[in-house]
Amino acid sequence: MTTHTTTPAATGTGEGGTVLEATGVTMRFGGLTAVKSVDLTVNSGEIVGLIGPNGAGKTTFFNCLTGLYVPTEGRVAYRGTVLPSRSHLVTQAGIARTFQNIRLFPNMTVLENVLVGRHTRTREGLLAALLRGPRFKKAEAESEARAMELLEFTGLAGKRDHLARNLPYGEQRKLEIARALASDPGLLLLDEPTAGMNPQETLATQELVFAVRDQGIAVLVIEHDMRFIFNLCDRVAVLVQGEKLLEGTPEVVQRDERVIAAYLGTPPEEVAAASRPGGAEDGPGAADGAPATTAERPTGTPDPGARNDTGGHGPAGTEGGEKA
Amino acid sequence: MHDLPQQLANGLILGAMYGLIAIGYTMVYGIVQLINFAHGEIFMIGGFGALTAWLLLPSGTSIALALPLMLLLGMACSVLVGMGAERFAYRPLRGGPRLAPLITAIGLSIALQQAIWAFYPDAKKARPFPQFGGDPIDLGAFSIQRGELFLITAAPLCMIVLALFVSKSRTGRAMQATSQDPDTAKLMGINTDRIIVTAFAIGAAFAAIAAIAHGLKYGQVDFKMGFIAGLKAFTAAVLGGIGNIYGAMIGGLVLGFTEAMATAYIEYIPGMELFGGGAWKDVWAFVLLILVLLLRPQGLLGERVTDRA
Repeated sequence: MTTHTTTPAATGTGEGGTVLEATGVTMRFGGLTAVKSVDLTVNSGEIVGLIGPNGAGKTTFFNCLTGLYVPTEGRVAYRGTVLPSRSHLVTQAGIARTFQNIRLFPNMTVLENVLVGRHTRTREGLLAALLRGPRFKKAEAESEARAMELLEFTGLAGKRDHLARNLPYGEQRKLEIARALASDPGLLLLDEPTAGMNPQETLATQELVFAVRDQGIAVLVIEHDMRFIFNLCDRVAVLVQGEKLLEGTPEVVQRDERVIAAYLGTPPEEVAAASRPGGAEDGPGAADGAPATTAERPTGTPDPGARNDTGGHGPAGTEGGEKA
Repeated sequence: MHDLPQQLANGLILGAMYGLIAIGYTMVYGIVQLINFAHGEIFMIGGFGALTAWLLLPSGTSIALALPLMLLLGMACSVLVGMGAERFAYRPLRGGPRLAPLITAIGLSIALQQAIWAFYPDAKKARPFPQFGGDPIDLGAFSIQRGELFLITAAPLCMIVLALFVSKSRTGRAMQATSQDPDTAKLMGINTDRIIVTAFAIGAAFAAIAAIAHGLKYGQVDFKMGFIAGLKAFTAAVLGGIGNIYGAMIGGLVLGFTEAMATAYIEYIPGMELFGGGAWKDVWAFVLLILVLLLRPQGLLGERVTDRA
């Protein structure tokens, strides 16, 4: 059930085709539906954005893609094969990610962090490490060379022996990207890569993401910085209250009233009214979505609260679960 | 202060043994924040495994020839029990409340002790362990037993191998990563279950080596030997800063020296005549533990971690 906007993009890319295909992904935590029947396709060579107000379920959706959560319903396929439900196997399959709140290994050096990222692409086991034969040394040297390449790529080569926790914030973010790239992924998931960055750093990150894309890695990015998203992405999907409201090119999304409403809030009647015509464009899932979920959510305040619900309802809603 | 070099040598040997066992506590704690109270019994089972190997060999075999085989079987038994404990007792409880695996560990400790008591032939009393014959080696200022040579070579070797393994190898790095942030480690493609089981296995193997050293030193193994040795090693791990492998070794040495010194010299302090001698050595070991916990709760090499207690 892909939306019509994805079809031209898929045929547009010459090689590879679909990298990620999520169909009907639903995630429930007890009575709370954090993600509801979301479809998303990422094609080779694409940068796809995922936006939505706080608590919309973006990070939960990411966690479903990376095996941290097993979706209650739905299917996630990477290059045509259904993903295993265990995180380390997902990474091995070729999906790497960064985190909303930085999660480097603080007491390891910059180089060691990247080497850990290479874990799935290296093989030597316990015995080889103890015997330290020529094969082991060669493999270690190769890993290190690749890690250094990535540090050059992200501009951190000069800091290889610094402890990760001592890096400035912007460089920690870069290091997360380098570490994620170390697993030679086909798809990179970035969870708010520019959160807390100044405009220059944001611009540098943008260049970095383009460079990653040019290496043939598809990118799916969550971000609140709209300028960043609209500059960067070939396609943007909007998630509101766990459902995909809309998907399209940055121009289409930027102009859509419902997106603006979702971020700034509108009276409940208007939300309901606004989402109805959307059904033609986005399939039945999104059509009756917004009002229905408002009623279902046990934590949401009843009628007047629906308005806040689309805005910052974080802690009571899905965001709490995302941090896990 | 007569015999000081000799007492230092005794302390070193005792400390190396505590340190080897302490590695098992500290590695497991560093990765899963579990105090594996069954580790003392894993140590004890290593001793019985080695004894079994000795009994299976034709009588009259020289101990030097038998030692590699004893090591192999002792380590195999310990590692098997350690990995089995992780797989079947602790893993199902992972993610549960912290108290559950702790109580399980205590239960497992008692169960393993009683299993050996009940099923190992003649294990209801201490069983003699093979000995290196011959006189102690005289090194001038002090002398060491021939059996103690085993520990003196094995302990530093183990430590060097472990340090290289943890800091330089792929699995070692994965181990560090898992101990710092298991969820992120998983997302970096690390099979954390396998890493945890590896930590248990390494700890168990070292415990078996220590058990053989224990047997060679005291000439016997018995089903209760894991209790006090385990408690001492746990003390050593806490002394050094639990979670830190170098801390475990240093904590072991500090504890060993303290015991040796207390045994030999406390009685010469005026007013302390009653508290010297071997009978009080455990008391002094735990007094040291209390002092460290009061003055430096994170241990000698431990870092103060506020969010993990």
